[in-house]
Amino acid sequence: MGRIVLENVSKSFGDTQVIPPLSLTIEDGEFAVFVGPSGCGKSTLLRLIAGLEEVSGGSIVIDGTEVADVPPAKRGLAMVFQSYALYPHMTVRKNIAFPLRMAKMTQSDIDARVNQAASVLNLNDYLERKPGQLSGGQRQRVAIGRAIVREPSAFLFDEPLSNLDAALRVGMRMEILELHNKLETTMIYVTHDQVEAMTMANKIVVLRAGVIEQVGSPLELYRSPRNKFVASFIGSPKMNIFEGDEAKKHNAHSIGIRPEHIDVVKSNGEWQGTVGVAEHLGSDTFFHIHNTGLSEILTVRAIGDVNLRNGDTIHLNPRADDFHRFDEKGLRIT
Amino acid sequence: MSNRTIPRLLQTPAVLLLLFWMLVPLGMTLFFSFIRYFLNNTRRPEWTSPSIDNWRGFGNYQYVWNQDAFWLAIQNSLLIVCSILFLTVALGIAIAVLINRSFPGRGIVRVLLISPFFVMPAVNAVLWINMLLDPVLGLQGIAVANINDVILGLRDAPLVGGFFSLWPKFEPISFRATQTSAYAVIMMVTWQWTPFAVLIFMTSLQSEDQQQKEAAVLDGAGAWSQFRFLTLPHLGRPIAIVVMIQAIFHLSLYAEIEIVSRGNGNKNLPYYIGELVNNNIGAASATGIFAVILANIVAIFLLRMVGKTLME
Ligand SMILES: Nc1ncnc2c1ncn2[C@@H]1O[C@H](COP(=O)(O)OP(=O)(O)O)[C@@H](O)[C@H]1O
Ligand SMILES: [Mg+2]
Repeated sequence: MGRIVLENVSKSFGDTQVIPPLSLTIEDGEFAVFVGPSGCGKSTLLRLIAGLEEVSGGSIVIDGTEVADVPPAKRGLAMVFQSYALYPHMTVRKNIAFPLRMAKMTQSDIDARVNQAASVLNLNDYLERKPGQLSGGQRQRVAIGRAIVREPSAFLFDEPLSNLDAALRVGMRMEILELHNKLETTMIYVTHDQVEAMTMANKIVVLRAGVIEQVGSPLELYRSPRNKFVASFIGSPKMNIFEGDEAKKHNAHSIGIRPEHIDVVKSNGEWQGTVGVAEHLGSDTFFHIHNTGLSEILTVRAIGDVNLRNGDTIHLNPRADDFHRFDEKGLRIT
Repeated sequence: MSNRTIPRLLQTPAVLLLLFWMLVPLGMTLFFSFIRYFLNNTRRPEWTSPSIDNWRGFGNYQYVWNQDAFWLAIQNSLLIVCSILFLTVALGIAIAVLINRSFPGRGIVRVLLISPFFVMPAVNAVLWINMLLDPVLGLQGIAVANINDVILGLRDAPLVGGFFSLWPKFEPISFRATQTSAYAVIMMVTWQWTPFAVLIFMTSLQSEDQQQKEAAVLDGAGAWSQFRFLTLPHLGRPIAIVVMIQAIFHLSLYAEIEIVSRGNGNKNLPYYIGELVNNNIGAASATGIFAVILANIVAIFLLRMVGKTLME
C-alpha cells in the first residue's frame, strides 16, 4: 500500500505562495522523483506530504485516508533527510531502533528488525558506533535503515545524496534502486539533479516555482517535453533552443534540438561553425560551437573521439526528426 | 637560538607569576598545616610564630578529623552545593526550554532573567534574609500573617467556616536558626545562579539541529521523548560546564553564610576554616587542605555522574 493523492494542495508562508494549487497522484509502488531548480518548492511539497508542514489549502489522501488531521508519525511514511538527521548521542543500533522504541515494540522484535535492516544495508559491523564515527555513505545507510525498520507505506527522500562525493553518489543511487525493487514500496525522491531523476524514476514530476511543468516517465520527458523549460531542464548537456529564420523554416516560434541529435560531418553540412571549447571524454566529445548564426553557442555531442580542436571549422547535420517545436508561449507544438 | 626560544622567553614572566601566585599560598598552607601555629597563646608563646621548630606532623589533621564540627561543616557544604546544583540545573533547563520559543517580549524577558546574576552576593544575601525571608518584617512574615488573617476571617463564613476552623495557624519560619539557615542560603544562591545556567543552556538550545527534531517527530516521538532523547543529551556538555563552575564557586560560599546566621547557623567548610583562623592557623590550614581534597573529589564525582547519565 502507498497510494498518495494530492488534490489542489497549496502552501503559503505568510503572504508568499510557495505552492499554488497543485494536483498529483502517485501510485502504489511507484518511484516518483520531484525535480526542479533550487527553491522551487520540492522540499516544501515533500514536507506537506510528511505532515511536517500544514497545507494552506486542498487535501492529501494516503491510501484512501484524508490525512489533514493525522499526525506525521501516524501517516505511515518514513523520511530520509538531506543532513541525515541522525541522533548524534545514540549508537547506530539505537538510532535504527528509535522509531520502534517509540512505537513501544518489545525488545526482541526490535532486535530482530534492527538486525535485519542492518544486514540489508551492510551495517552489521557498525551497530555499536556513534554517527560521528561513520563516513557520509554509512550515515546515509543508517538514515535509510531507520526508515525501513518502520515498514512504512511510502518512503520520502529529500536530496539524500547531495552531501556525498560523486563516486559514492552513483553507488548509493543503485542501492536505493535495489531497495525499491526488493521492497516494492512507494518512494518519493526529491532532487535538483536531472541525472538522478532520469536514472531512478518511474515517474518524474518537473517543478518550477511550485508549479508542475510536466509529469511523465523519463523517456516521455526526454522525447516530448511539454515546454521549453522541461526541454532544457531534462537532458545533459542541455538542449539547444533558438529562434529566428531556422525556427521559421519549421513553422515554429522557436525550435530545439539535443546535442546528441546533431551529426558531425566532414563537409557540406547543413550548418557550420567554429569550435570553441571541446570536451574530449574519450567515449564522447562535446563541442561548444560559435558563429553558427543560430544561437550564441551550439552544443554538439559526437560519439567517440573526434579530432577537431579550438578554432577549427565544423560541419553539422541536424537530424530532421528530432527537432522540438515551440510556440510563442514556449509550449510544444505537436 | 631556535625560533621557539624567543616566544618561550617572552612567556616566562607570565608563567612564573602564575606559578608564584598559586604555589606560594598553597605551599604556605601546606607548611602551616604541619606546625603548631596560634595567633594568641599565653601558655606557649613560642607557638605564636610560624617556625619549623613547632613541627606537629599530621597532628593538626588528626585534630581536625576528630572534631564533630568539621564533619558537620563537610556535610553542610555538600548539602548546600548539591542542592544548589540540582536546583539551578533543573530550573535552568526548564526556563531555557520555555524561553527558547518565540513569544512577544522575549528580549525583555531574557534581560530580566539574567539580571539576578548582576547582584553582588552580599547584597543578595542581605536582601533575601531581611526583606524576603524575615519572619516578621520580610515578605515571608507579611505573607504568613496575611494568610492567617484570611483564614481567621473565613472561620466565621457560612458553609466553609467549619472547614477552615480545622486549619492551624501558620507559623513563619526563622531562617536564621541552626537547622534552617542552610535552606535560606540554598534559596538565595539558587536565585542568583539560575540565570547563569539559563544563559548557557539557552545558547546551547539555539544550536540544536531542527531536522533531528523533525526526524524524531516522524519517528513518533512526543514532546517528552524529544526532550529526553534529543534535547537533554544535547545539553549534556553545557550541564557539565554549569555543574563544574558552580561546584567550584559554591564550595567556597562565605558571605551568604555569614550574613544569614553570623555563625549561629549551619556552617560550611570555608566558614569553619574562617572560625579556626581566628586563632588556630595550623588547624585552619589542615582543614584548608581537606577542603582542596574534597573539592577535587566532588569535581571528579560530579563530572562522572553527569557524563554517564546524559551521554547514554
Ligand atoms: N519555513 C519557511 N518560511 C518561509 N519561506 C519558506 C519556508 N520554507 C521554504 N520557504 C520558501 O519556499 C520556497 C521553496 O523552498 P523549498 O521547498 O525548500 O525549495 P527546494 O527544496 O525546491 O529547494 C523557497 O523560496 C523558500 O524560501
Ligand atoms: Mg530542498
